[in-house]
This record gives sequence, structure tokens and C-alpha cells, in this order.
Amino acid sequence: MLEQNLVSEVLRLARGGGAEFADLFVEDCVSSRLHLLNGHVKDISGGNDFGAGIRALYGTKVVYAYTNDLSREGLLEVAQAVARANGFAGEVDASGAGGLDFRVTNPKKLYRVSQHPLETRKADKLALARRAGAAARVGAVKTVDARYFDWVQRVLIANSDGDWVEDERVYSRLMVNAIAEDGTQRSNGFNGPGAGMGMEFFTGDAPEQTGAEAARIANAMLHAGFAPAGTIPVVIGNGFGGVIFHEACGHILETTAIEKKASVFADKIGQRIAHESLSAVDDGTIPGAWGSINVDDEGMPSQRTVLIENGILKNYLSDKVGEMKTGYARTGSGRRQNYTFAPASRMRSTEILGGPETPENLIKQVKYGLYARTMGGGSVSPGTGDYNFSVNESYIIRDGEICEAVRGAALVGNGARDLMNIVGVAGDLTRGQGMCGSVSGSIPTDVGQPHILISEITVGGRS
Amino acid sequence: MKQLSIPDARALLLRLATDKGVQLEVYAQRSSSTNIEAFAAEVSEFKLAKRSGVGLRVLQGGAWGYSYTENLSEAALERCFNDALENASLVAPEGFAALSAHAEPPHIGDLYGEGLSGVGVERKIAVALELERAARSADHRVVSVPYAAYTDGEEEIGVANTAGLARAYKSNYVATSAMPLVSEGNQSKSTYNWQFTREFETLDPTATSLEAVSRSLALLGATLPATGTYTAVIEARTMSTLLSSFSPLFSAKMVQEGKSPLAGKLGEPIGSACVTLRDDATRLGGYQSQPFDAEGYPSAPLTLIENGVLHSFLHNSETAAKDDTHSTGHASRYGYQGIVGVSPTNLFLEPGHTSRDALLHGISTGLLLTEVHGTHAGVNVFTGEFSLQADGFWIKDGAVTHALENFTVAGNFLELLQSIEALGDDLEFTPWTGTGAPSVRVTALAVGGA
Repeated sequence: MLEQNLVSEVLRLARGGGAEFADLFVEDCVSSRLHLLNGHVKDISGGNDFGAGIRALYGTKVVYAYTNDLSREGLLEVAQAVARANGFAGEVDASGAGGLDFRVTNPKKLYRVSQHPLETRKADKLALARRAGAAARVGAVKTVDARYFDWVQRVLIANSDGDWVEDERVYSRLMVNAIAEDGTQRSNGFNGPGAGMGMEFFTGDAPEQTGAEAARIANAMLHAGFAPAGTIPVVIGNGFGGVIFHEACGHILETTAIEKKASVFADKIGQRIAHESLSAVDDGTIPGAWGSINVDDEGMPSQRTVLIENGILKNYLSDKVGEMKTGYARTGSGRRQNYTFAPASRMRSTEILGGPETPENLIKQVKYGLYARTMGGGSVSPGTGDYNFSVNESYIIRDGEICEAVRGAALVGNGARDLMNIVGVAGDLTRGQGMCGSVSGSIPTDVGQPHILISEITVGGRS
Repeated sequence: MKQLSIPDARALLLRLATDKGVQLEVYAQRSSSTNIEAFAAEVSEFKLAKRSGVGLRVLQGGAWGYSYTENLSEAALERCFNDALENASLVAPEGFAALSAHAEPPHIGDLYGEGLSGVGVERKIAVALELERAARSADHRVVSVPYAAYTDGEEEIGVANTAGLARAYKSNYVATSAMPLVSEGNQSKSTYNWQFTREFETLDPTATSLEAVSRSLALLGATLPATGTYTAVIEARTMSTLLSSFSPLFSAKMVQEGKSPLAGKLGEPIGSACVTLRDDATRLGGYQSQPFDAEGYPSAPLTLIENGVLHSFLHNSETAAKDDTHSTGHASRYGYQGIVGVSPTNLFLEPGHTSRDALLHGISTGLLLTEVHGTHAGVNVFTGEFSLQADGFWIKDGAVTHALENFTVAGNFLELLQSIEALGDDLEFTPWTGTGAPSVRVTALAVGGA
């Protein structure tokens, strides 16, 4: 994307104020977004994100600057600004010491795209969204938004240690929102599978399944009563149910939280933080997964990081600055939305691993509680461990049986406490896809889990 | 690849459109910002940003086609224009799409302040360090200050089209934010405070941090409330958060697409008689004030609800044409990457004449709600329902007794508007949404707790 000589000059200039380390992240990202409303093509957009970010480290202090101007003059101007930001007022001297001798590494590709979005006609992409939308128009569903997204991000990551990595990341996603209506009653259902793959992700009846699942939820919830309010046992469904672990634990294990001691799990490696039935990983190496990366945004190969093994905390998620501040080795977790963010330790595919139970057995153990079948997003305050996530589809469990449907509600708790309350884990691990927002922007992540039983958690219903 | 300036890029694009005989709108944005974070008495992160790009909207055969680029080389601009044309050719025409020159926008005088060119970086660093120091040393129960930051930025937004419209405006901001972590016994609490202004000289980092500390300390000793339905006072900031989350209900685009539960309710009472809701992009000192909207339409004040009756939805030119009315100047665009939609600007609930504390009078047992979390997932704009994690305080005999933690509040926003029985005089706006509200007292709020 850029000449090595220019990059060498830029990095040298960026360190001119006395920084120990500098790196450059260059991005050229092309996206398409297609939207159909009730089968009509409503809007098509997309475009080209294009820019570079330069980071310099003075000890653990980070100076970061970015620009859209990738000309020599543009890049040198930003490098100069980085060099001066630490209070260095003199003339920055970029000449002198010789150029960097880059070690070019080609990242190991976890997955080979067979049908590239940039080589596919928009009409074919529209056809997929149209099929997904049509499949959602069943039962009482009156309004259907079907959206198709893809983006191809080409990156160059180079640093003053001489590392040079280029990679291409391909993402594809379908999203369907179905609104059901019956008189004054309304409900909606959402489904949005995505992958780190090309168009081949949508083979077979994948588009129809996407739409049908959104419609199933909307129809199931249309006449549902209010969820209960109070603290009760809850069985959480597999797949996107893993959002509970993402919020209650995942964010708190990122070194961005650990390094400021703003985490209830700081200094807890080797200690029991969860029930013994719980093991969890953050795996960035699953071929074609939405949350997978060949290399992180600091150029380090991705890895599978064991977070919790039988209830014992094993690892944090660490990036370069996180390693410098906490001493915990980098885990290939330095990620960012785009060139406008410095990298930070972030999740990839975070999963609770399968256990010995079956979903039916977990439900049988509950006398009165909630079966949370599909989930929405959530959030957490890492310093306190207080978290929340939303249930989009749920049912009352009475005497070990799934009974009537009830409307969505927030589930809230505290990570430090509730991990001890995950008392049963089934074996049916699946994953769901979402966008995770944090200090370095919004990035694609997978969450995953089998069905789990939480002995008690606060449910935010109205009855 | 030589990058064109924004005026040159715009001229090139408009020429391409004229040559092709299609209509084109160019939305250009150029911004720069500085962000300085402090931790443990040192600067931990220093960020400088410069970003610009153009968003295109072509109108061909009655259909819009969008595309954007941050690469302003001639080749990239031409590619972007051709993408927009291709996109238009695939979109279903709706018959209401049009571009025009629009009337002259009003002058809004206070968007740029004194500017930032005279403020040296040392002074900005000093503000960030003072934010962190003031919070850290305010009380022995402060464990650390995970977030203390100074930010400033400038932005220029320009809209031009082939119908002859060409206008632009500049704005700036200066902001601070602090979030201390406090602890006592085995309980930790954390909440934040901010200041947002257009003038550097009005910053008071010490006061901002001390308020963040006192808000966090107040939450210590919190207990889980009993599950039940209570009379509640929703504090101004939290009411503003709820209002902002549900603002899509008032979008004519949402209504026309069959997604808003307010469809067909114009002229009907949808709130209690004390509820008046306005939006005013020309408001002096408004965080989201702007002379014109994302398609260049001039800004003007609008009343959405008056004494409980729904008067108007928010419109852009296209939704207005469809409803045979005028635009209200609420075309919005999530930067040049986004498409033209409908959004509020400075949307606010008209305040009452009672102090916040007086709203508590007469409540024998109830709840003061001071914060809700997780609104990106816990509100449903298609139904009006919400269920959210909350912080707050218990009210007994008209006064606050103690803090409450990790409970939920649930309801329906439209029922909430009907259950407002009094409004405070403490109207407060949230900078990043522009939405404002006073504290309000509602007759019933469902609480999930012990």
C-alpha cells in the first residue's frame, strides 16, 4: 500500500521526539450497504474509508494521530505532529540514522474467501437480501427491513521494530428486522448472522433461515405478556446468549480495564472467579468466524486464549501497551475499528465451552424461572462489574416445563458474583455475531455458549 | 495520488453530474480534534485527529444513489460518483425525491466561540491533569480515576447541489469528562460528570471532577430495592437519556415505514396535559444547533407535543413531500458515510416551575432514578417498551434516604409520557445527543430488584 522507504522515513520522524517505539496503521476499506423495506430497494450506500494512524510510545504514554492524506507530505506532517506532541519543541531530524530493514511477514490465512464481495455484482447481493426479507413475511409480520452489508479492509501494519504485515479482512452480514402487528399489539424480531467470509457464507437456504428466524421471534412475542420482575433462576439459550459472558466477564479481563485497576478481576490470575463447571476462551482463530483475525492491529498473529478453566482465571486479553503496563504477555488482541483509533485489548470470539448437561436437564431443574431464548446487546461498568443485557424472546419456566411466552426484559447483575452462579452448562455450544463498542471503536465480535443455568439473576420485567 | 481540497473535489463532482445530466448533492465534512487523557498524575494518551470526506447523493430516474469517499484523488472521486450512479440504478423510485436550492438559513452566532488557535497544548494538558488530580485527591475512598479526559474539536460541514445550493458552517467544542472509581467495604461505585462548552476559558476541571466524585460517593452503601411498582422522580439527565432513546418515535420516516407506534396519532393526546415537547436547532447555546440540516434546509423551531397533544413529526424534504407538508429541517446524516434520514436536533421537554427537591414532596415511598444503562439494547423503538439497568435512591416521606443498586426499571415510553404528573425547573441538555429534559415525577414505574 505504501513504499517501504516512505514508511521508514515516517516512523523515524515519529520517533524524533524521543519515543522508544512507533507504528503505522494504513487502511483502505471498501464497503457496501443495501437495504430493502418490504421487498422494495430502499437505499444502497457504501464507500471508501481511507487513512493512516501513527502511534508513538514514550514509556507507556501513547501519542496517536491520524489523517486521510496518505501523500508523502500528509504522512510526514502527521509524523511531525506526533513527535512534537510530547513537548519536544526542536527541529525534528529525520535524516541521519539509516532506514529500517523491514521483516515482511505474510500472515497465515485462517480462511480463503471463494466468492469475493468486490467481485460480486450488487444485483446478486440484493437478491440475497430480497430472499431473506421475503422469508420473514409470515404470520402477523407486516413490516420487514432486510439489510445486507459487506466490507473489505486492506491494512498495512509496520513498526519501528521492523515488523511489516499486510492483510485483507473480508466481512459479510445479513440482518433482518421483522415487525408483527395485531390491532394495537406490536412486537419485533431480529436476526443478523455474519462471518469473516465472502458471499459463500450465504449458500443454500441461509438467507431464508435468517428471515424466518426474525419472523419466528416477532410472531412468538406478539401476544406475550409482561416478563416477571425480581430475582429468579434463568436458563439462557445458546449462541448469542453468550453476550452475558461477554459483558459480565470478557470486558473486565481486557488489560485496558486491568491496567488501571479498574476491574473487579485485577490481580486474580490463578484464583477461582467462577463456578467449577465454567470454562471459557477467547478464540481469534476460528476459520471464517466474524470475530476471527489473521493478525491483530499491531501485527501479531491471532490466538486462542484460555480465559477460565474449571472456574480458575487463567489469562487476560492483552495488547502491546497492556503487556507493558501489566506484565501479562500480548495475546494477539490489539484491535481497533479503523485508523481513527489506537489499538486496545479487545475480544474476538468469546465462548463458554460446552459442559456435561443437556438443555432439557437444565430447564427441568427450575421450579419457577425464566427461559431467555434469544438475546440483544448489553453493557458493563468494568470498575464495579455491574452489567446488563437484554432478552428479546423469553418464556416462563414452571415446574421444569417451558410455558407461556413473555416480552423482552433486561437481566442485570454483577460479574464478580454471577460467574459463581452459573451452576449448569449444557453441551450445545453455538455462536452469534455482534458489534462490540469500546475504547478503540466498534469491532465485529462473536459471542458463544451452550445453554446455561444461572441460579439467580435480576429480571427487569413488569409483573 | 494527489489529494484534492474539498472545494476542488466538490467542483469536480458537480461538473461530473452536470456532464452526465443527473442531479447531485455533495455533503462534505472536515474535522480536527485533540484528545488528552490523564491517569495517575501523567498524560496517558494524546490523540490528534484530522479527517475529511465527501458523501454523494445522486438523483436519477426518481431514485437516490449514495456513495462516499475519504480518498480525494481524482480517480477515487470519479469511482465514487460512478458507484453512486450504479446504486441509484438499483433503487426503487418513490416519486418524492427532489433536490432544490432551499431558502436562506438563519444566522446562528454562537457555534464557533473564540476558536482554539490561541490555546497552547500545555494549557490543554494542564486541564487533563487537573481533572485527574482533583478527582483522585478529593476523598480517601477514591481508588483511582479510570477516565479523565480533555477534548476539543472543530468541524466544517458543507452542503452543495446541482440545483444551485451551496452553504457551509463551522462549529467547535471544548469538553472535559471524569469518571472516578470509589470504594468502601467491598462495594465499588463509579459514575461520571462532564463539562461541554465552546469556550476554553469557561472550563472548570476542578468543579467537574468534584461533582463526579460526589455523585459516585453518593452511590456507596447502596442496597437492592424490593421488586414493586413505585411513584418515581426521574432526574433530568436520565429523562433526557430516555427521551433521546425514544426520539425515533417522532420521525416521519419511521412513521411512513410503519415502524413507529405513533402512526395515525397526529392531533391526539399522547401525553399528560403538562407535557410539551419542542425541537429547536436555532437555540442559542444549543449543543446540536445548526443553521441548516443535512440537505441544506434552513433550521426553525418546532413544537412536537403541546399540552399533551401530538402536533407534528420530524420531517426532511422527502418525508414532507410524501405527507404533503413542509420539511421541518430535520434531515440528518451520520457524517458523509451515512444516508439521509430524519433526526432531532435540540429536542427538549419544556420545564415546569418546581425545584427537583420539591418534586419529592408528598412521596411516602418511592424512587429517585439517577441513571439508566444499556439503552442501545434495552429500549424498543418499534413498541415504546424499555427495560433497563438503573442507579438511584430510595425516597421516604418526601426525602432521599439511601442509594439503590443494580435494579431494573421497565415500562413503555408512551405510557410514561401519560403518567408524568409534574415537571421540575431544572432543564438540562446532554451534549452528545442534544436532548434536554427537566426532572419529572411519574405515578408508576415498575422496578425489578430483590
